Amino acid sequence: MTKHHLPATPDTVHWGYFSKTLEPVLTLKSGERAVIETITHHANDDYERMIAGDPAAEEIFHWSKDRKTLRRRGAGPTDGALTYGSGEGLGVHLLTGPIAIEGAEPGDIIEVRILDAWPRPSANPAYQGRFFGSNPAANWGFQYKDLIEEPKPREVVTIYELDMGEASVKALYSYLWTPQTDPDGIVHPTIDYPGVRVDHDTIVKKEGILSGIKVPARLHFGTMGLAPAEADFVSTIPPNYTGGNMDDWRIARGARMYYPVAVPGGLFSCGDAHASQGDSELSGTAIEISLTGEFEFILHKKADLGGTILEGLNHPLLENEDVWSVYGFSVTNYLAELGPDHQHEILKRSSLDNAMRDAFRKLRRFLMTTQKLSEDEAISLMSVAVDFAVTQVVDANWGVTGSIRKSLFAGR
Amino acid sequence: MNAQPFTSESYSGDARERAWQDVLAGFGLQSLGVRAGSPAHATALSRLSSLGVRLGTLSADAQVLRPLPTRTGLPLLLLPVGNSTVLVTGGEPQIVPAGQVILAPRAADWQVQFQRGLRALVLSVPAEAFRGRKAAPLAACPPRVFEADGLPDILARTVQAATTALDRLSEPEWEAVAQSAAELLLALSGELATTSADSSSSRAALLQRLYATIERSIGSEDVSIADVAQAEGISERYLQKLFEGTGESFSHYVRERRLQRAWHDLANPAEAAVPISEVAYRYGFADSAHFSRLFRERFGLPPRELRRREADRQGQGALPSGQRGWPQEALVQLRARQTKSEPDTRRSVVPVSGEPDATPQTPARHYLPVHAQHVHWGYFSRSLKPLIEIASGDIVTVETLTQHASDDPERMIEGDAGAESVFHWTRTAKAVDQRGAGPLDASVFGRGAGEGFGVHICTGPVAVRGAQPGDVLEVHILDIEPRPSRHPAHAGRVFGSSVAAWWGFHYSEFLSEPHPRETVTIYEIMADADEPYAQAVHAYRWEPQTDPFGVRHVLYDYPGVPVRPGTVTPQTRVLEGVRIPLRPHFGVIAVAPREADLVDSVPPAYFGGNLDNWRLGKGATVYLPVSVPGALLSVGDPHAAQGDGELSGTAIECSMTGTFRVVLHKKADVAGTLLADLTYPLIETPDDWILTGFSHPNYLAEFGADGQSEVYAKSSLDLAMRDAFRKVRRFLMTTKGLSEDEAIALMSAAVDFGITQVVDGNWGVHAILSKRLFPDRE
Repeated sequence: MTKHHLPATPDTVHWGYFSKTLEPVLTLKSGERAVIETITHHANDDYERMIAGDPAAEEIFHWSKDRKTLRRRGAGPTDGALTYGSGEGLGVHLLTGPIAIEGAEPGDIIEVRILDAWPRPSANPAYQGRFFGSNPAANWGFQYKDLIEEPKPREVVTIYELDMGEASVKALYSYLWTPQTDPDGIVHPTIDYPGVRVDHDTIVKKEGILSGIKVPARLHFGTMGLAPAEADFVSTIPPNYTGGNMDDWRIARGARMYYPVAVPGGLFSCGDAHASQGDSELSGTAIEISLTGEFEFILHKKADLGGTILEGLNHPLLENEDVWSVYGFSVTNYLAELGPDHQHEILKRSSLDNAMRDAFRKLRRFLMTTQKLSEDEAISLMSVAVDFAVTQVVDANWGVTGSIRKSLFAGR
Repeated sequence: MNAQPFTSESYSGDARERAWQDVLAGFGLQSLGVRAGSPAHATALSRLSSLGVRLGTLSADAQVLRPLPTRTGLPLLLLPVGNSTVLVTGGEPQIVPAGQVILAPRAADWQVQFQRGLRALVLSVPAEAFRGRKAAPLAACPPRVFEADGLPDILARTVQAATTALDRLSEPEWEAVAQSAAELLLALSGELATTSADSSSSRAALLQRLYATIERSIGSEDVSIADVAQAEGISERYLQKLFEGTGESFSHYVRERRLQRAWHDLANPAEAAVPISEVAYRYGFADSAHFSRLFRERFGLPPRELRRREADRQGQGALPSGQRGWPQEALVQLRARQTKSEPDTRRSVVPVSGEPDATPQTPARHYLPVHAQHVHWGYFSRSLKPLIEIASGDIVTVETLTQHASDDPERMIEGDAGAESVFHWTRTAKAVDQRGAGPLDASVFGRGAGEGFGVHICTGPVAVRGAQPGDVLEVHILDIEPRPSRHPAHAGRVFGSSVAAWWGFHYSEFLSEPHPRETVTIYEIMADADEPYAQAVHAYRWEPQTDPFGVRHVLYDYPGVPVRPGTVTPQTRVLEGVRIPLRPHFGVIAVAPREADLVDSVPPAYFGGNLDNWRLGKGATVYLPVSVPGALLSVGDPHAAQGDGELSGTAIECSMTGTFRVVLHKKADVAGTLLADLTYPLIETPDDWILTGFSHPNYLAEFGADGQSEVYAKSSLDLAMRDAFRKVRRFLMTTKGLSEDEAIALMSAAVDFGITQVVDGNWGVHAILSKRLFPDRE
């Protein structure tokens, strides 16, 4: 079997948006495997630990007065009077891809199997071989308007170290976000544009935080998905029917994700890797880290979906050894439903109640279609054997996951 | 019914297109198909008034809409949102910017092309919406686009505002809004006719004005042709000719309108006290006998009979949607008449000692069997006399019954002395009369004593010696045993019931007919299997049940109504081959709340109660803040299995017996421990702490002790999530000594928030905090 390698370089990444207009950086046949490097968009929170000495990361993040390697960051405007920067940070994730799957057409399903995932070591001689991540409690977090201690409001960045031997993550230090001036002279009083290098002379590091606390590692990719059909440039922040920023820690080694194809080739991208995250991703981010993953891609043609668990699927579906999970969103397909101003409109629609309703509907359809249950059987089962959890409350299009154990059906 | 949501997500691929066409057909529209290649997606929210007015918002992929051919009804109102659209009339395209109003007669030939996705508000008004008042036919008019100014603007704004509030308007509010919108549309349709050049349209406009004049003067005894003609400046002859053209004479039309308006007033419950003769007089009938005769000839029933039927219909109208807790209107009534619990006449198991004993050396063991004297049904109360008093550290075994045993009395009640005692209910005797926190005389809905405002059979209460407000009660579950059937045919086997009930999350949106409906599924519990599981035995649709006192329960609105064999039709091939792993737990573990004498057992809150968290099983502990002397612990609502969310309204409800170790933590001793500052139920399992968030953490305090029902109307997962967040933050800061920033960082990286339930009035989100996080801190 051919195994491809897709390194993260300025030519293989796109920042803050999905786009059907991007040329694929790699084209695979169904059944092929690829090792894909991803780099976290929060690496500049601690340049020394997460970028310095790593040529690819250095080049991707390069931004001087004269040259900014990746100018566009986000699906927003790229010229005119810019408030935050090109792309305006309307979408923040640094994604590797897109990868086209030969023969994929709208209506097909692309299955992505995560075979393995491992962290990208620091290349700075001072930290050689160690793994670091960053967790900002940001302005888009659930806590931001609900803080009790001064100063209010505030953003706090916590830098973590991942111990692969112990499979746990420990906090190293934290700092209060201070206004950062980017090389173009734009001041960022809050975390409002991705990849701005934090000048460590302007911050005060607080050591000894979260002492004695070990967070079990849950290596996963926060953002994986296909290009949507509705618009040319789509923010990476709100997850949607072709996947994207799902922020579910179960999208990890051993998981298979199924995505509906919206444009020819599918155009798969991934990034936004996390060392760990809780259900809800409360503060706005997980422990953001650079990971490399090994993936296998399988194309399921529309004509072959009948009678499989993919029949009628028009939303992302997770399968692992134990469960199937569907993802409910506040707005099922916000690109189609909210009109031209969808990127801003979705911010007003965040609601767990609607996400719960969406998850209920998707799971009902899944059980009725693929397990051939009647509506009443599906509803009874959802009450007694399906677990609904809060996926995230920070990605504009909030999420509720509904999971059902596969073992229930062993006797059918 | 309320607003109807639609989303194509509910349907599988091939059914989607048809379901969407059905939605459009409700508006008198059809789609010519979506643009090929894009994933078909459509959503809608619409609401229908009793007179057929339908208002809604549509959003879907790019497509073309055209009217379903029909000759009746007012022109359709379409309001493109966000994107401009193209109106094609007789092959002529016209671009309509968002915000302008399209008025399009149904019989005309037109299309609306939504090239960048369909997003529009639609108002559809049938001819019948005006109760026989005529709308002049406008078949020949082409569609017209209005700028948002003047009347079109007012109509557009009304439609926009109404659509925004569509699912929040109460039934009477919605009826009023729908009727106003219909009137505005009628007025605008007149304009369509006026501005049209052809003579048939101007005739229609004139007719419309004549109809309006008649409507205004309908109360006077003699509306003459001469007066009406004069008012419009036309000759009597011409007026008669105009009417002949509609196939109806002037005098016949006037009489028809008078009778229709009289029907309307007689059917209005608000006017039930107005004498029939006065209604007749209002519409120009001075002789009420003559009126009654005409009325009967026209409608086939006398005015008095119409009133009686309408009163019956209104009475039942409240039923099919169901209501938990007090109706909002009844709160006033409740406040005026403070409910008190009845004097407690139940027996104690052992005499309650007045003075504290010396602390015993070994924990004492107690046994609380279940029977009518040992339960309170559907409510918690600080006024209940404890059945037993125990010391801190004692072990108590408590038998509990599920209130759903009556769903299959043969399997779950018969032959079981305890269950028979509690469920005993004949024409003359009901062992446990009060079920719920409502009035004993059932004066709110008439369902039965207590009104079913609260449904759980709770065993207890148990007093804990020395417990005082401010202390914390630790309830540790040592064991849970299911209660086997005692019926000879099923002896030794264990059964449970799960009801997809009207308070379930799914109830507002069924896919298949009939809807809505309630379905009961009976499960057998295989507790002794290597991997214990439940599997469905049979299921039946709830059919109206008449209880032994003669009250008919159209819905599952009162607990413990025995389902009589023969009244329902069990289906046996249900969930074949599906095995549901057991998660035995108690849905309800409560101490008595302090705020009110009688508290509905359904909404959980700070005192515990109906937590419905399956993690509260064997080996788990719940810590509850004590708020009345003695704590008054009660247990019930046993579940064999439940998923996070409890979507359909119930778990697998199954009678079980629990063994608990109860430890009292005095306020003075909890400082510096995990229990310091505990104001909510905290669950501990061997691996985790689970913090319980609610939409309204103390709804009794928030809405006032008498406002117990408001919580049902105001629950949301967003609020519950916020409460859970705040509780975890406080827990980490208070008991783990973290700073706020550390607590928030940890929550994002390592705390899992899950949905406990969306069916218990006060919705729940819990947070799971793994003990593994703190290896070096213990």
